[in-house]
Amino acid sequence: MNSLTDNSLMLKVKAGDLDKMGLLFERYHKPLFGFLYHSTGQRATSEDLVQTVFYRMLKYRHTFTESGEFRTWMYHLARNVLIDNAKKNNRIVYNENFTELSDKNLSESSFEKDFEKNEANEILQKSLTKLSLEHREVLVLSRFQELSYKEIAEILHTTEGNIKVKVHRAMKELKSIYMAFSC
Amino acid sequence: MEKEEQELWDALGKIKTPTPSKEMKTRFHAMLDTYKNEQEAKNESGLLNGATSRVFDQIKAFFTPKPAFNWAYSLALAMVFGVVGYFVGKPAGGVPQSQQVANQDKVEKLSSEVQEMKQMMMLSMLENPEATERMKAVGYTQELQTVDNQVVEALLTTLNLDPDDNVRLVTLEALLELAKNPKVREGLVLSLSKQDSPMVQVALADAMVKMQEKRSIKQFKQMLNDSNLNKSVKTKIKKTIIALS
Repeated sequence: MNSLTDNSLMLKVKAGDLDKMGLLFERYHKPLFGFLYHSTGQRATSEDLVQTVFYRMLKYRHTFTESGEFRTWMYHLARNVLIDNAKKNNRIVYNENFTELSDKNLSESSFEKDFEKNEANEILQKSLTKLSLEHREVLVLSRFQELSYKEIAEILHTTEGNIKVKVHRAMKELKSIYMAFSC
Repeated sequence: MEKEEQELWDALGKIKTPTPSKEMKTRFHAMLDTYKNEQEAKNESGLLNGATSRVFDQIKAFFTPKPAFNWAYSLALAMVFGVVGYFVGKPAGGVPQSQQVANQDKVEKLSSEVQEMKQMMMLSMLENPEATERMKAVGYTQELQTVDNQVVEALLTTLNLDPDDNVRLVTLEALLELAKNPKVREGLVLSLSKQDSPMVQVALADAMVKMQEKRSIKQFKQMLNDSNLNKSVKTKIKKTIIALS
């Protein structure tokens, strides 16, 4: 129901009622920010990129079709924005806001349980940013954005089966990076 | 999925996403308003632009060399420039004085319209989400013959609020060019308390020395009370205060 309403709002934007983009912003700026934040690991950059995605939605509104889902189209544009940003910066920069952990000897640490939990979270976040772009995007879309494999396949113009394989490989890569940071 | 991978998968689900800043919403609405204005302006000038672009296309097509007619093209160009040269070189006495005045008025009107367009373009580009576009917009101020209060305010707002350090630095340079304007000088002094980037703080300190702006001493002293102030900025400010005293 919600996605239908999203579509109808976007169709109104396409027809020239640009103010309706404000409503779509209210609905999607947080999930979009989440997608960009977990992909880049950078808060300020992610906020800039959210603006760019909404700007592109306005600029390329004619490319939105009734047959497609708004959410899929939006993530497709967001993905392109991410790729352009990565090309501009040559790489996705590691988030300076995350705590640098590489120089800490974790095996010798004897922290409280909560602290260990936070530490493990930070290692996991850092591991995520070290994943290849191809693997990171499927994990972020499926785990953080909670999109179905079918939706992700539409965004990436591939098959559901291929996404399953990519998620599986991404988890393997994540595990090996995580283990390397933890030792 | 293996057990360890499943644990990682579960842990991924527990990672929290920070909340975006409130400024993001303000910036979005500013961008939307700018975009709407641009679209309205485009629609209004659509017919005019259509006619103008057709004329330009014809002129462009004429001046574009066509390999098959190279000799004819050269000859035609020589003739065009010959005729133009003849009329341009002709003594002014040949044209009635009333027509000269009318022509001059037209040129002045056109020039002022171009200025207005440049200013409008610059102001709308300052709202662009891309930092590089905003930097270009700031650069356009150097092309403006006259800088009015609206432009000064837009530049000061950019200096104080733009999220990108480089945009703020370029804006500071542009404002320094306008330092004869008291409003600009006052704005620069007040901006000291609004900056948190060491690069911009140092650049502003240099600007104050350049302008010999003694009113900034009070602001600098307040900045020194801030325990979070960068050490090298602190040293720079101390030197600046001495230079201005």
